Amino acid sequence: MAKAFVIDVARCSGCFNCQLACKDEHAGNDWAPYAAAQPEIGQFWLKLQENVQGTIPKVKIHYIAKLCNHCEKASCIGACPNDAIYRRKDGLIIINPDKCTGCRACISACPYNAIYFNEQKQLAQKCTGCAHLLDNGYSTPRCVEACPTDAMVFGEEEDLADLIEGAAVMSPETGLHPRVYYRNIPLKFIAGTVYDPVEKEVVIGASCRLNSGGKRWHTVTDEYGDFWFEDLPVGLYDLVISHDGFEPAVFNSLKTGAAINLGDIPLRKKE
Amino acid sequence: MSKKFPPDKQNIISFSLMGPESGGPCLVDSNDGEITRIRPYFYDEEVRETCNPWEINARGKTFRAPNRVTITPFGLGYKSRVYSPNRVKYPLKRVDWDPKGERNPQNRGKSKYVRISWDEAAQIVADELVRIKETYGPEAVLCQADMHGEGKNVSPSHGCPNRLLSLMGGYTLQMRNMDSWEGWFWGAKHVWGCEPVGEMAPQANLFPDIAKHADLLLFWGCDPETTPLGVVSHLPSRLCYWLSEIGLKSVYVCPDLNYGAAVHADKWIPILPNTDVALQLAIAYIWITEDSYDKEYIASHAYGFEKFKDYVLGVEDGVPKSPEWASEKCGVAEWTIKALARDWAKKTASILHGNGGPYIRGPYSTEPARLEIMLLGMRGLGKPGVHQAKMIEWNLWNKDYPVPFQGEFVPKMPHICDALRPVDGDVDPGINMKRFVLSPDQEKRAPELKELFRQHPAPQQFIPRTLIHKAILEGHAEWYGLQCFSSSQQPDKNNYRKPTSEYQFEKIVYPREGLSKLHMMWTDAPCQVTCWNHGNLMMEAMQHPDIECIVAQHPWLENDCYFADIIFPVATKHELNDLGNDMSSGAFTSIYLEEPCCEPVGESVSDFDVCARVAEKLGREYYDAYTGNLTEEERVRFFYAATGCEDYMSWEEFRKKKIYVIPCKTNTEELPAGLLGFYKDPENNPLQTPTGLLEFTSTAIEKHMPDDPERGPIPKWIEAGESHDERLSSKRAEKYPLLCMSNHGRWRMHAQCDDIVWNREVETMKIRAKDGYQYEPVWLHTSEAAKRGISHGDIVKVFNERGIVLCGAYVTERLVPHTCYVDHGARLDPIITGKLDRGGCINSITPTSQTSKKASGMAVSGFLVEIERVTDEEMDGWKRDYPEAFARKIDEAAGVCLAGWLMGEDEEVM
Repeated sequence: MAKAFVIDVARCSGCFNCQLACKDEHAGNDWAPYAAAQPEIGQFWLKLQENVQGTIPKVKIHYIAKLCNHCEKASCIGACPNDAIYRRKDGLIIINPDKCTGCRACISACPYNAIYFNEQKQLAQKCTGCAHLLDNGYSTPRCVEACPTDAMVFGEEEDLADLIEGAAVMSPETGLHPRVYYRNIPLKFIAGTVYDPVEKEVVIGASCRLNSGGKRWHTVTDEYGDFWFEDLPVGLYDLVISHDGFEPAVFNSLKTGAAINLGDIPLRKKE
Repeated sequence: MSKKFPPDKQNIISFSLMGPESGGPCLVDSNDGEITRIRPYFYDEEVRETCNPWEINARGKTFRAPNRVTITPFGLGYKSRVYSPNRVKYPLKRVDWDPKGERNPQNRGKSKYVRISWDEAAQIVADELVRIKETYGPEAVLCQADMHGEGKNVSPSHGCPNRLLSLMGGYTLQMRNMDSWEGWFWGAKHVWGCEPVGEMAPQANLFPDIAKHADLLLFWGCDPETTPLGVVSHLPSRLCYWLSEIGLKSVYVCPDLNYGAAVHADKWIPILPNTDVALQLAIAYIWITEDSYDKEYIASHAYGFEKFKDYVLGVEDGVPKSPEWASEKCGVAEWTIKALARDWAKKTASILHGNGGPYIRGPYSTEPARLEIMLLGMRGLGKPGVHQAKMIEWNLWNKDYPVPFQGEFVPKMPHICDALRPVDGDVDPGINMKRFVLSPDQEKRAPELKELFRQHPAPQQFIPRTLIHKAILEGHAEWYGLQCFSSSQQPDKNNYRKPTSEYQFEKIVYPREGLSKLHMMWTDAPCQVTCWNHGNLMMEAMQHPDIECIVAQHPWLENDCYFADIIFPVATKHELNDLGNDMSSGAFTSIYLEEPCCEPVGESVSDFDVCARVAEKLGREYYDAYTGNLTEEERVRFFYAATGCEDYMSWEEFRKKKIYVIPCKTNTEELPAGLLGFYKDPENNPLQTPTGLLEFTSTAIEKHMPDDPERGPIPKWIEAGESHDERLSSKRAEKYPLLCMSNHGRWRMHAQCDDIVWNREVETMKIRAKDGYQYEPVWLHTSEAAKRGISHGDIVKVFNERGIVLCGAYVTERLVPHTCYVDHGARLDPIITGKLDRGGCINSITPTSQTSKKASGMAVSGFLVEIERVTDEEMDGWKRDYPEAFARKIDEAAGVCLAGWLMGEDEEVM
């Protein structure tokens, strides 16, 4: 049995309640031996990361809550020379502030940058999954409880199997079996607006064909002349936009290192 | 573990920051006399089984009330607010203000404070009140009581000074302008009536109707993820997700990719600030020229459409309001304007608002507001799915709510204070005054309250909040209309002032004949400089030698407080006993018992008790009359009795359970949605306009002010006028080429919560620059930043003729070029008082003039500025020339703080 978090990025409104609730619980509140008090500012045991993609007016934003992954094979545990870090029966990983000597070995060992250093107290500190609350009758950590859109779920990994199916984890290549799962993290997009520069009208229903190394996508422009190809992996793409009676527009070798807004694309009528 | 389980205390405290109504409850745990944590309130199984939780069913899906209050960042962070280093901990006196000698009014906003005793502070204020009254008459005291403080009832945040001043024989009332509704109130009302504020009314059953019948949602200047937070909860967010899920398309028309658009928009149409009129006229132009509007509806439901049509087509002025014409004005591509007009013509669409924000709070905001109603009219307003709906204040002025959480019983909460009371003679029982008297039913249930609610004479003189500075500096002011929120200036034969748009045409002059000008100010809403028009001018006014004494009462030392001569420390609601009422957070309505989570910080007391202590110095009779001889706990007890809740839950049970959740009304989906009655039968369900119809040509304006170039009978595009010259086409734009947009902050409620240290770590709340100071962000498009050599995080100055505001550059793709964006409400931190602010208080440089010459609202968004990077040399120059401003202590986490404004020796007392 192990506790896990499942976060649906598509349901996250970016309100920061999770980050703020974590601060309310831990900043200035000493929960030793689960955790010493977090400094008033500067540490983010849960940090909400804002990701802005695209350029005006094709801009999309998503937010990713980052916290300790409470990994099954947590590298911090082995890195600690003082046995200050341990896994609870419920899978949550705790740094015992009474045993931590402030050597920072765990901070170097964590590939997720989830551990912070408290200069004043000379302690390594991080998310405890609010274990002090779980042991006292509460059913969820503060971040989950404060989420107004139910984008965060907390529970037994087994019970969450349906939600975990198809979900991603951060840096899976670490092989540490992280237990914070993310659903619906958007990848890159290619988007634009197609218009007729003579009539000054958007072109509705234009066919947009996207190709990357033999893989194909197809869509048509909507009521606003817009097309969106979302969730594209990083790669090189060729795009052909065509519509009856118009010369096609062709874009080759579009690089989706970042999301691409092709802007307002003129489509010229055939002579 | 230093804290205990279970906590010593678990209290229920509200999180709303609206004023009298309390809003959603939070659970506040305390240990050893200190707040430990603040959590959302959960509705347990029993509640959910017995209280008819509401749901909306549409298109095969169900939207349910959440099982808890969806707490906001303000509620969550309030511990930081209670223990803020910004708290006023004891009475303060400005060090160089001597009521018996030199008053140094010119040093207000500059000089520091010393601690004095409660006894001394109360005595000074009592003596000043008596002296001013005897010298000039009672109207020489301006009472700046208002709204949008903490939601408190038995010791309200606003209006306590009014009660005491009424007892003393009167005062001059600061009349709040219709700040949330300017365009609706001064404009839309003349199209569709819709009393009291000009937004669509009624709002009954709107969201179930929209979910069933609409397929397009136009979020016009609306941010459903921001504006509702201080008032409602996150329920609008959940609703937006659901409406998208069932297939409704969301189009956002706004200069910024606001927080709602960021996560809910299917289409974002960026538009230059305050140019919506051009887009709206072009949409009308397309519908008229393509014959795609509802002509039958217009024939039967509209008045004066032909004149409007002539203006749109250019028959009147030779300028067709075509997409080509509009595109240049509003910055939206011609093809996108046409696409929006055609998509809207094909679909069933509602327009959504969080009251309107910058869209109806700019120069000439009457015009976009009026045009919106006309466009809705051309689509058959009132038809299923065709509405103007609100994402905020679902309970306000609504018998039945747009989201069906209203209780089957409405508690009759007494309102003890009259911050917004009308002036002499105004006894309109329908809208406002009713709140401030004890109804016969309430009196029967709680006779103990009778003395507390004894009515005293109403004030004889008032000044709109938008004109206080001019009234003081020029000794004279005149304006049109603007009475207490909705009531008329002209009493009818029963001496009732009925809500009507007619009184907007009445000219009013200050000072009234025979009454004194202002010589003293008393504020319980010290946010004028950071929330109203031209804050720098207000600072100058507060330094005027006519003003002999300024008194502030507030929990935090901020903004207008720096200009006060005496400051009283006020306790937050977490430190007091109260009776909370949640009519707005959206899952259920409820009444709850609020008990102190901790001792009052320092020597702070409730707003009610601040005035009681002054009353005590005036004499026993004043104290008795003011307090009604009731303690705070007694007021809670008898207020509960007055609400009528005892018929449902006894006081004993209520004390034990601390909350009475009211079962939801059932069958609300059967109520006619919005203006369905008018749609179906306009003759028998007329609008509150003179003709009863949708007035495309206003008959009232035609009658009273037909030649007003700034608000004529037909809404128009106004390039510039006598009141405002704030367009990119202006000559001023050569020096100030950016249109500054300003909205409600996501991390503040107006001026409240600027000091929540954890919110301040969010980058769109504050940007910590290289000098370590947390600057208010100014959003700037990547291209505008590049033009000016500005990088993300740079210290920049935002400026125009009215002054300079320092900000941190937030370089982004979320804002249209040629503009910048700063939230209102950041706390003032003056370097040169009245000229240069470091705190990011953008309203210090907002326009002076009102909405227009004859519309007495404020214009605080869509004005010209320029932005430059602040060089090290420039900053060093300020540091050299104004060392005392830079020497003030700034808290690393919370920003400006009490210690910065105390004389040196007092800092140790902290």
